[in-house]
Parts: sequence; C-alpha cells; structure tokens
Amino acid sequence: MAATTAASITTAAATTAATKLQSSSSSLLKPYSSSQLPFKFTKFTTSRAPSRFAISCTLATEAAVEMEEVADSDPSQWKRPDSFGRFGKFGGKYVPETLMYALTELESAFHSLKDDPEFKKELDGILKDYVGRESPLYFAERLTEHYKRPNGEGPHIYLKREDLNHTGAHKINNAVGQVLLAKRLGKQRIIAETGAGQHGVATATVCARFGLPCVVYMGAQDMERQALNVFRMRLLGAEVRGVHSGTATLKDATSEAIRDWVTNVETTHYILGSVAGPHPFPMMVREFHRVIGVETRKQALEKWGGKPDVLVACVGGGSNAMGLFDEFIKDEDVRLIGVEAAGLGIDSGKHAATLTKGEVGVLHGAMSYLLQDEDGQIIEPHSISAGLDYPGVGPEHSFLKDKGRAEYYNVTDEEALHAFKRLSRLEGIIPALETSHALAYLEKLCPTLPAGTKVVLNCSGRGDKDVQTAIKYLQRNNRLMLSWLWKSYFVFPEGKALLLSKV
Amino acid sequence: MNARTLIEKQVPKEVSKPAKFGMFGGKFVPEILIASLSKIEAEFIYALQDTEFQEELATALRDYVGRETPLYFAQGLTNYYKNKDGEGPEIYLKREDLNHCGAHKMNNAIGQAMIAKRMGLKSVVAATGAGQHGVATAAACAKLSLSCTIFMGSADMEKQSSNVLLMKLFGAQVKPVEGNFKEASSEAIREWVGNLDTSYYLTGTVVGPHPCPSMVCEFQSVIGKETRRQAMEIWGGKPDVLIACIGSGSNALGLFHEFIEDEDVRLIGVEAAGFGLDSGKHAATLSKGEVGIYHGAMTYLLQDEEGQIIRPHSIGVGLEYPGVGPVLSFLKDTGRAEFYSATDKEAVEGMYKINYMNNYVKLFNFAQNLAPCLLFAGYLRLCRLEGIIPALEASHALAYLEKLCPTLPNGTKVIVNCSGRGDKDAATVCNYKWGTGSN
Repeated sequence: MAATTAASITTAAATTAATKLQSSSSSLLKPYSSSQLPFKFTKFTTSRAPSRFAISCTLATEAAVEMEEVADSDPSQWKRPDSFGRFGKFGGKYVPETLMYALTELESAFHSLKDDPEFKKELDGILKDYVGRESPLYFAERLTEHYKRPNGEGPHIYLKREDLNHTGAHKINNAVGQVLLAKRLGKQRIIAETGAGQHGVATATVCARFGLPCVVYMGAQDMERQALNVFRMRLLGAEVRGVHSGTATLKDATSEAIRDWVTNVETTHYILGSVAGPHPFPMMVREFHRVIGVETRKQALEKWGGKPDVLVACVGGGSNAMGLFDEFIKDEDVRLIGVEAAGLGIDSGKHAATLTKGEVGVLHGAMSYLLQDEDGQIIEPHSISAGLDYPGVGPEHSFLKDKGRAEYYNVTDEEALHAFKRLSRLEGIIPALETSHALAYLEKLCPTLPAGTKVVLNCSGRGDKDVQTAIKYLQRNNRLMLSWLWKSYFVFPEGKALLLSKV
Repeated sequence: MNARTLIEKQVPKEVSKPAKFGMFGGKFVPEILIASLSKIEAEFIYALQDTEFQEELATALRDYVGRETPLYFAQGLTNYYKNKDGEGPEIYLKREDLNHCGAHKMNNAIGQAMIAKRMGLKSVVAATGAGQHGVATAAACAKLSLSCTIFMGSADMEKQSSNVLLMKLFGAQVKPVEGNFKEASSEAIREWVGNLDTSYYLTGTVVGPHPCPSMVCEFQSVIGKETRRQAMEIWGGKPDVLIACIGSGSNALGLFHEFIEDEDVRLIGVEAAGFGLDSGKHAATLSKGEVGIYHGAMTYLLQDEEGQIIRPHSIGVGLEYPGVGPVLSFLKDTGRAEFYSATDKEAVEGMYKINYMNNYVKLFNFAQNLAPCLLFAGYLRLCRLEGIIPALEASHALAYLEKLCPTLPNGTKVIVNCSGRGDKDAATVCNYKWGTGSN
C-alpha cells in the first residue's frame, strides 16, 4: 500500500513542478536552464489540471503500461506471468527503486539459465544425488480404506512424498535452484526469511553445500515455536537473526530480509521462500518447484495410465501448491484444491485464510489477496502451523482463484491435528502440521467424490518438527483427546491399546 | 514350494541361509523357541522365492521408504582431505539418511513386518536402543495395521525422548525397562515367548538366533546391491573402500554383504570407543570383546571374567551394544574386514583443520552462534562442508576418515554409509562439554 501511495505523491508533485517550470523556465538559474534538462519540458502540456490524488505517469519516456487483455476461459492462453510480472491484475513489482535493477538482473539471468543445458544438468544432478529426488507417489492404502463409504466405494488417495526430500520438506527444491543461480550471478552472500524454519534450514543447507555465508531472518515468536529448526540452521553454519518488530512472525521477517537486501543488493542474493514477493520471485520459485508436478504426471501415467483427477495441497505462501498445480493448470479436467489455515475458526478473527477472508492489496512487493483491516493495515494471522501463518498469498493463487481455475478452502487447527494423528496411525507417516491441513480437507472432500477418483495430495513435509507442538495441544485439550480416542477405539483394531497409552 | 511343505520337511540346503559362519552364529535358544524360529525361517525362505512378495516389497521400498537412496559425491569432504599436492581419495556417501524415518532401519522393519503379516500374526514385539529401530517398526506396523509393542531402556527413553514420542504417535505401546538395550531386548523376547501364536519378534540387529541374522542381512543388503550398480554407473567400476559404523552391525553388513566375495574391496567397520578403549566405558566389541553366547548366537561380546555382560557406553546410542553380528565376528577372524574404533571425542569433538580460506568464514559464524559448543570432527564437519546432518552413529564412520584418508592413494573411491540423519542428536551435540567429554 505504501509503495503505491508514494508513487502517486511523487508523480503528482512532479507534474505540478513541471507545470511551474513551463511558465518560468527563463527565470531558472544556470545550470538548470531548460535546454540542459534531460527532456524537453517546454513541449510538455497537460490535458487537464491534475487533482491531488491522481496517479499520472505521463513523465515516463516509455509508453504507458497497458493491462493486457486476458482471454478469460482458456487456461492455455493465460500469461503466467505477463512481461510485467503480473497474473491478471495480481503480482507486479511494487518495490523501492534500489531493487528494480536487481530484480531485472535476476529475471534475465533466470531466463537465460533456465534453458541452459549445463545449468539444467547441474541442477538435475543435485536434485537427484543431494536432495534425493524423484520423490515417490505413494498409494495410501489404509487412508483410502478409511475413506471408503459403507458400500465399499471411494476415491484412491496418493501422497506425493515431498517429506522424503533432504531436510524434510519441498523447500529445498527452490533453495538449490536459487543458490545455483546466485553463484552464476557471482553473489557472495545469501539471505532468506523463514516462518516454520523449513525454508531457513533448506537455505542454510544449500549454503553449506556451496560454501556461501548465510543469514536467515526469523520472527522471534517463530524461533520459540521451532527451536529445533533454529538449532539445525546454526549447526549448518547460518546466522539466524531474530526479528522482534511488528508481531515477530513471518511477515516481519520478510520485511527485515527485504530491508537487508536493499542495503546489500550488489553482493547479496535474497532467496525468497515462497511464490510471493515481487516479480520475478513468484515465477522463479514456481519454476523450481514445478518438478513436483512434472514427476507426478509421469508417475501417474506409470501407475494407472492416466492423469490425477484431483490435486490437493496446503497453502501458506503457496509454493508447494504451485509446484504441484503448475503442470496441470492447462488440464481443465484436473481439479485443483488449495487448503488454507482457518486457525481458531474462520469467524474468530484468528486465522490465516487469506483467499477466503482477504482483500486485494500490496504486500512485500506484489499485488495479491491479503488479510487487512479497513485502514489497510495487515491483520495478524494465526495458525498452529508456522508455515501457513502468513497474511498474504502468492499472486498466482489469487489469479487462479479469481479465474475459478482453482478452489480454496480452509481447515481449523483442531481438524489439522486430527489429520496429523490420522496419517501417523494409518500410514506410519508423520506429516508436517502444514500438510495436515490438506489431509484434514479429505474429510469433507472424499464423501463427494465418485468411486475410483484419483486424488493426489502433496505431502509437503515431515512432522518430526511438530511432534512437541502437537502433543502439547493434545494434552491441553482433554476433550479433544478423549473424543479422538473414543473414535479411534471403534476405528482402529488396536483401539484398546491406544486408550491405555498416555498420549 | 509353499511354507507348509517347508515346515514339514527340512528347508532344502540349496535355498536355506547358513546358520553358522565358521564357529559364530547358531541357534542357542530354549526349546520352546525352536519351532517358532523354524516357522519364521520357512516363511522367510518362501517369501524370498515368491515373486509377488518381492514385488510388494520393492514397491514398499520405493514408494514408502523412498529407495533407491543416492550415492552422493561429497565434494566438500573430498577437497578437505586433499593433501598439499591436491591429491586424495574421492569420498562418496550412501545416503541412508534420506530413508523414511531417517535411518537404514526401515529397510529391515518393513520387510519383516510384511513377513509377519504373511504369517497371519496380529502383533509385533521389538526392542530398541537409540529408538530408530523402534520408530521404524512402529511406522511399518501402522502402515500394515499390526499392533506394536516396543521395549526400551528407561535411560535410553530419557536420552531419546523425541523418538519415544514418534513411536507413540504411530500408535505403538512403549514399555520402559530398567537399564538399556540389552535389558530391553531380553524383556522383549520374554514377551514374545509368552505369545508365540499371535506375535512376531521383529529384530533390528544382525544379532540373534538363526534365522534372525540372515533375515536382517538379506533385507539390509539392498544397500550394497544399489551401491554396486550406482558405482558402475558413476565411475564404471567398484568401490575401493567401504566404511560403516558398527553397533550390532546391521548397516555395515547391509553395505558389505554384496562385496564380501570381492577381495579387492576393503571393508572397514568403525565401532564406538566411548571414553577410550582402556577406560572401560566403550562399545568396541570386536577390539576388546571375547567369544561367548549372547541373545542366541555365538559371537564376540563385551564380558567380564565371570562371563557377565559389561554395560557398554557411547555417545552414539545406537552403537551401545555389547555384542556384534556373528557374520562380522567371522569376517574379523578371517581377516576379510578390518575393525577400528572412534572415541566420543573424535566423533563429536576435535580440531577443525582448515585447509582452505572459505572455511574461516564458517568458523567465525559458528563461533558467534554456538559459543558453548565447540568445533567437532565427524558430526560438524559434514554439517559445515556438505549441509548434511549425520547421526552420531554415522559420525563415528566419518571420524575414521581422519586417520584413513592420508594413507590412501590418489583417486581411491571411498564409500561411507551415512546410515542416518542427525536431527535426533542435535540436543546431545549442543550439550556436549569440551574437556569433560560428557553431556
């Protein structure tokens, strides 16, 4: 919001100044005579007197920027993004002038390297041997059984196992790509922001691997919630700087990281963790994550000879969801479902369901939906999972929502915790609390799906980091635990043992 | 051939696995267990021949466990061990840390849990030291809807409380036992003996009565098989040296087994020397142990003059085992494999030798952030050079590189089994005190 207002003030003031200049150019002292100015003010005319609040960019030497017409219904015609970094009206580059060059340089480097066979070979090698790709597409047999209706019909549920990646989440796909890019650009220092800590750990990991010093900004509140990740980052040699301003969470860490980047832009590369931020980040991060969707298509073909019918992923900033969805956006028969955090309830005011309750604005350099009050101030989000605790969302998700190509729902903390335990007990996989939100949505989704529907859910991270949080909440809320145990007695064969256990 | 036929007749020699390795191994168990062990052996042999089982296992290993694990060229570590002429061995890591649940233990747990299911058994009993085997077993049982009971030493439960939480989350019952792993495994066997018709004892180690060592070895040998193929793909040859840490020996045997017949491949096992081989507080069975019978098998073990088991110690809890697999005892006696040890200090602590400039940057960053903790060898070296946090157990194998690499000719291909990830050890490393060498 601040950036646009600043822009409007600057342009309005400049317009006024230019008009004044026109009438009194001869009274200007040298060396400021009009002939020495970079452009000819004397030829400048305004068509009408500009009002105090008008945004007029007529001083620009280039032609006025036109909003490109987007063919509404055909996804293959959509420009994602267009040449100005916009997805429809979302996205863009709302940043201070100092960053414009860095962003342009980054974009052109990315475009030239994206198709460079040597870069691709190096990246693929690292993804295979270091990260451990390709991650399996796992048929969740017991989860599928659980969702069968009494007549034995139900969807088939597959999990894309991003939790098996090195460092335990999908975040490393992007970190690896960006650090390779940074090395090509000759940057000597890496900075990053992190919410849950997973992106911070992924960044610290790749910096250790490639020998670059690393600074990670993390909200002080998040540092407490995710102490294990803080320690991992330090073990890997990164400097973790706590951010105490604002509400000491992800959005404040992002602001601090951007501030650092503005100060050190020549030597430093900023590895943004999600598909948010100014162009080219949403596009770049999505491109590095799209390997998820590309592998899924291949594996789906191998496993059942077709495409998935429904893709489900949790949405915080939106990187894992974009990574899975991107490959299938043009396939209109594939349903795309994003699940956000409803925290303590969508009407409680304590949630992070940006696409459900947010309004359009500009945050961290991009226009997108965000949680804001009537004054345009950011509303503090809440979710039990730090990775979804973000008041904004990637601009491409905002675009897909408005176009109706993807559907967005939300689940509460409590529903996510149930799902966390459910997957642990049924499949022996502990999902991250973030992923648990996507898993929780299956409760509402599966009864509506015809028999044999192929559902692929992005298991975006492992939940070892969340065990302490989950246990704390579960022990505190006895009613929750008892009701879960009561249900589990009837659902699981080992129900008796569970009742006796102290969890 | 079906299991019934095998049980009724003797398992034919051509398909059975050896029960003894020289004088080691065997089946030193009470009579009541002989029948159960024979049933398990028959089922195991049958499963090995059954293509459906093999396919199911391969799918589980691929989609659930996340195999195959990469053979990763550790550039940072290789550069670190180059001498001043720029020569040195090439170091590769077999990334067992990328498996589901973070260690090689899952290879065996999923295979054996599938065997238990085939046998129609409803529950699984196991014992665990570090907790990794317990976690892997609990996860596999959750997936296959088997009820699971894990016995764990109460001292271990405190040290590895995060693993206890994980086991409970998977739905396993965790029963504390006074003492550590050896007491826990005795208790687990007692529980099994009480429920022979309905429960299956899932062993995580290559110690135990026949057929346990062979079963665990067979399921873990996937590590070595993949390594052979990957080595051929990457450099068109075999590895020259294989290194692995040794507690009971499951990850080591998993890597070595494939190459035992290849005499030109050096096999090196690294045990835990704890506070030092002469301190009495270590777990270096093959260096300091004597032959005896333990948990049903004849093997080297740490025993006093009266034949009582000496309690072992290591900072790597998974290496705290007073015995060792009979196959490894045999490999030692025949001289096929070499066994060394690394102290707690060497695994965790040590002088951080800096050979090239950019490490100074990391040194200063580190000093600022982790003032109470100090510069470590195996564990931290891998964190800082490769961005991989190894388990403290695997750090013992990595620590041995310090002594080994200066002796190796240029270009020697060394493969270290990175048997597990070290997130579970972060607190231990943080609390480790310089000088006292204690937590």
